[in-house]
Amino acid sequence: MTTQDLIDSAGVLGPFNDPLPAQYEKQLARMTTMVNERMSSREDIHDLLGGASLALMKDNHANHGRFIASILTNFHAGVLVETILWVFRTYKSRGISSAYWAAQMNAWHEVIEEVLSPEDAAGILPLYQWIQVNIPLFDKLAMEALPQQHSNH
Amino acid sequence: MKNAAMRAPHTLFLEHLLDGNKPDAARIIHELVTENIPIKNIYEKVIKPALYQVGDLWEQNRVTVAEEHTATVIAESIMNELYPSIIAGAMSFPGKVVVGCVEGELHQVGAKMVADMFELRGWDTWFPGSNIPTSELVRYIRKIEPDVTALSVSIYFHLPALENMILEIRAVFPEMPLLIGGQAFRHGGREIISRFNRLTFISDLEELEIYINSYPHDNTRPD
Repeated sequence: MTTQDLIDSAGVLGPFNDPLPAQYEKQLARMTTMVNERMSSREDIHDLLGGASLALMKDNHANHGRFIASILTNFHAGVLVETILWVFRTYKSRGISSAYWAAQMNAWHEVIEEVLSPEDAAGILPLYQWIQVNIPLFDKLAMEALPQQHSNH
Repeated sequence: MKNAAMRAPHTLFLEHLLDGNKPDAARIIHELVTENIPIKNIYEKVIKPALYQVGDLWEQNRVTVAEEHTATVIAESIMNELYPSIIAGAMSFPGKVVVGCVEGELHQVGAKMVADMFELRGWDTWFPGSNIPTSELVRYIRKIEPDVTALSVSIYFHLPALENMILEIRAVFPEMPLLIGGQAFRHGGREIISRFNRLTFISDLEELEIYINSYPHDNTRPD
């Protein structure tokens, strides 16, 4: 599969209607804190981060929340895919393992179910499920784009 | 031939930026000015691609945050050194423009290039720079009453802040021409243009020059 295949498959995810974007944004600070706590408390977190710091991880979670909030407000499949690929490349080059992404998405999934209403969670989780399912492909495409000497895992 | 002449300075300029070597980086740019290379070309063909490459190297973890920031600061300070050249060659034009970055946006070099281009064409230019709170920008525009406002967005997830800023400007100035641009749009997001009137997307300094040169000299606002 190619980047364009990802963009085509993402095309059915949106747009997202009100009040979903506002509800996600309203709870974002709380959800980000919860994701940070769950990930930080994992015994294997330092293995997942591959030497990258917890501060970098928390920065990533904050940026993730802001990004998803933007996508929910202005859905664009190309932007979604290209930005996730950029994130994978950037963090991969800093040693973060492939398994971290699955752990992070699981954490967001759990937190969204706990914090948002069942209706809002049902509206947003297909986006997260799509990301989770495609993590191996994002990882592969990001690896291909990085210079050989900086590839990890 | 002109592109070949630009490639070598861009490569050397990038090397000096990455070394944190401001004197030699500045020398390259000032030599281009002495050779009468237009400021627009220096920005578009040397400084901009060099900074984009710095960004790519940061993405690949081949330069640190400190190296990336140093490179950006050097580039911007050299751009400031070009100001006498910018105003020396400026025509006179009875236009006012405010150029800035949306709330939360810290990357301002692209917006500064836009501001300098307007100034080259003789516009009275106000450049409040990066991360302007939306309410403060609206207040500033009320005070300045520009003919055009230009907004820069470098990071994709600042696009909602852009839309919010446009809505608040439109509430006070429903007909003001607005220009938008920046790296945030490189993979999309331009559909925002269809949601507002008098909103123009500018992809590079070539397009900006065309826009500025076509702006009516009698100061009637274009459609």
